[in-house]
Amino acid sequence: MAFFTRFLNSPLWALVRKEVQQILRNKQLIVLLIFPPTIQLLVYGFALNPDVHYLKMGVVDYAQTIESREIVAAMTENQIFQVEQVLTSESQLARQVETGKVTAGMVIPPEFSRDLTQQKTAEIQVLLDGVDANTAGIANGYINQILQQYVLRRSNTTLPIETHVTFLYNQGLISSWFFVPGVMGLVLTLIGTISSAVIVVKEKDTGTLEQLLMTPAEAWEILLAKVVPMFVLLTGDVLLALSIGRGIFGLPFQGSFPLFMLLSGLYLFVGIGVGIMLATLCESQQQVVLTTFFINLPMVQLSGAIAPIETMPDFFRYLSLLNPLRHYITIIRGILLKGVGLEALWMHALALATIAIVVMAISTDRFRKQLS
Amino acid sequence: MKRIISQVTKELAQFRRDRLTLALAFLLPFATLLIFGFAIRLEAKDIPLVVQDFDRSYYSQTYIQRLFVTNQFTPIAWNDRQPIAQALDEGLAKAIVIIPHEFSRDIKGGKVGEIQVLVDGTDANNARVIKNSIKAFTNSFAQTQGLLPENPPIAARSRLWFNPGRQESLYIVPGVYAVVLWIFPSLLSAIAMVREKEKGTILQVYASSLSATELILGKSFAYLLIALMMGFCVMGAGALIFHLRFAGDPTPYLLTTPVYLWTAVMFGLLLGARSSNQNSAVQGVSIIGFLTSFLLSGFIYPLSNIPFPLSLLPNIVAARYYIDVTRDAFVRGTGWSSVWIDLLMIILLGAFYLHVTRKAMSRMQLNT
Repeated sequence: MAFFTRFLNSPLWALVRKEVQQILRNKQLIVLLIFPPTIQLLVYGFALNPDVHYLKMGVVDYAQTIESREIVAAMTENQIFQVEQVLTSESQLARQVETGKVTAGMVIPPEFSRDLTQQKTAEIQVLLDGVDANTAGIANGYINQILQQYVLRRSNTTLPIETHVTFLYNQGLISSWFFVPGVMGLVLTLIGTISSAVIVVKEKDTGTLEQLLMTPAEAWEILLAKVVPMFVLLTGDVLLALSIGRGIFGLPFQGSFPLFMLLSGLYLFVGIGVGIMLATLCESQQQVVLTTFFINLPMVQLSGAIAPIETMPDFFRYLSLLNPLRHYITIIRGILLKGVGLEALWMHALALATIAIVVMAISTDRFRKQLS
Repeated sequence: MKRIISQVTKELAQFRRDRLTLALAFLLPFATLLIFGFAIRLEAKDIPLVVQDFDRSYYSQTYIQRLFVTNQFTPIAWNDRQPIAQALDEGLAKAIVIIPHEFSRDIKGGKVGEIQVLVDGTDANNARVIKNSIKAFTNSFAQTQGLLPENPPIAARSRLWFNPGRQESLYIVPGVYAVVLWIFPSLLSAIAMVREKEKGTILQVYASSLSATELILGKSFAYLLIALMMGFCVMGAGALIFHLRFAGDPTPYLLTTPVYLWTAVMFGLLLGARSSNQNSAVQGVSIIGFLTSFLLSGFIYPLSNIPFPLSLLPNIVAARYYIDVTRDAFVRGTGWSSVWIDLLMIILLGAFYLHVTRKAMSRMQLNT
């Protein structure tokens, strides 16, 4: 009890009350904490869609036989291609691919059916728009697969070796399940660094930091009083992001909720720490926003939120091990989608904790030095 | 005209004095180009894969050997005593290939040999690619072992246009130009506009004989000059590092770029004029600018994948039109016939921003 009254009389408690009141009065901060994360989650979640489907295809069918029409029908069967135009000449088709009107073009030569019945290899010409190299490669694979399936169906045989593929964790292969957890991490990074940096630098900007120094409060108390309310507010953002992910994108939650909150809390400390560190480097709010941009851009790009890490060049792949966001995204994907716990994620949790401690130590040290 | 020019020199002098912003203005676009250009690779390569071979026969060994010859998969060693699915749980591997005991017996006996594959489905797109490539590999394996005819009854002869080597940087880097040259010019001009308002110097401008239009034009031309320098640096670096060359007639590109940069600057001025303080202006530009130019422009994934009603938004995103122009200039090379409409749309958007900014400025002048 005595301890409690001492706490209520301490400068720390007074500072916490001051910060909470300031935050509550700061409508702009509340708006900043709610709207940008929501909009970002929605736009990223819906717009990041790598599915290869309904690719526009132009067809020139010189053969005009039952088989050639069957091939055209087979192409559209799986919604991967969409036959946009049936053209009459190859040069017309070439023009369409050139201008990007169609992504793929298929030319069935006049001798197609004859070759097929005479057991010769019947050739089909395929033109692909290679500007988007990745999509072109995938489309090419699909075309070969569709042709092979057609051949098997026609000759009523099966393949000599069957490949049975089972998808774990995401049987329906819904792309947003992969991207939305990544975007959750991204949103928390942006909002955590910017809002905490702005709060600290504002005090510097307006010169009230010197006034705080006149009070009996210690530097660590000033800082802690800033961190605690920020942390509580950002926890609200974690829940907001999670409910949008669950409610709108239908994300599963396979793992443990307490573990999710615990590690998210750890990640918030990283965000706040980075924010404070940037605030100690900058003199004005404008500089803070620019420098957070400078930090956040590589952090987001090298995290696997948007483009998978495995495909990056070695240098960037190793560099990404130092990126707290990378570990956090691996953790939430693991908890939400795979339902794994610390036994599988301990390395990432450990990395996150180490980074959090280092960042916090550096930023409090810089903050204290600046005060004295 | 003279007043606009003196306004331009004033802006440039002010810009030069702010060292940090100056440094960031040239460092940030360059860093962004490098990170995007090198780190965004969509094609799946070096996929970590665990193989469990229960058969240990000639067929299964050859199968495994050939699987890793292509650089698509990298073998991951796994201790057989631990449950194999753990490799996926821990994220050490993306797929597991299991060859059952009876694999070679079945093949020799003329029955269907079976291969089991477990794929981590969290990254749905990658999972699909893994499935397709293992299937395609199995078929080509069957062909080399004489189980499938060497010459299939139907064969596709594919030709890849514009990019026969499937270099991904040809797709990404022209897109990076559009993203970088939208975000940074608009960010800088928004800051310049709000700074004037916050410091109160805008009142002095109001008191002078400068009209709202002259003020806006002066500011926009000053930042257009800065943006042009920025664009020159970024594209020079892009040409040197990623070996981008003009594929055809460069005039559409050379003409559209200044118009696009000016539109970006106007977008920044617009948000700067409409928001009350610097923080919200910069936040607005960075969030809206980034979301639109990065996500709603077709930079990474095709625009046709965006669901309705969000799919309507890209129609008013200038970056989306500019990406068409840059990809045409550096990869396709078809020239004016396919991109004139893009230039027209960018001009329309720029004119619209100018109009709205002018309105906002005149209203402010009346209110103060």
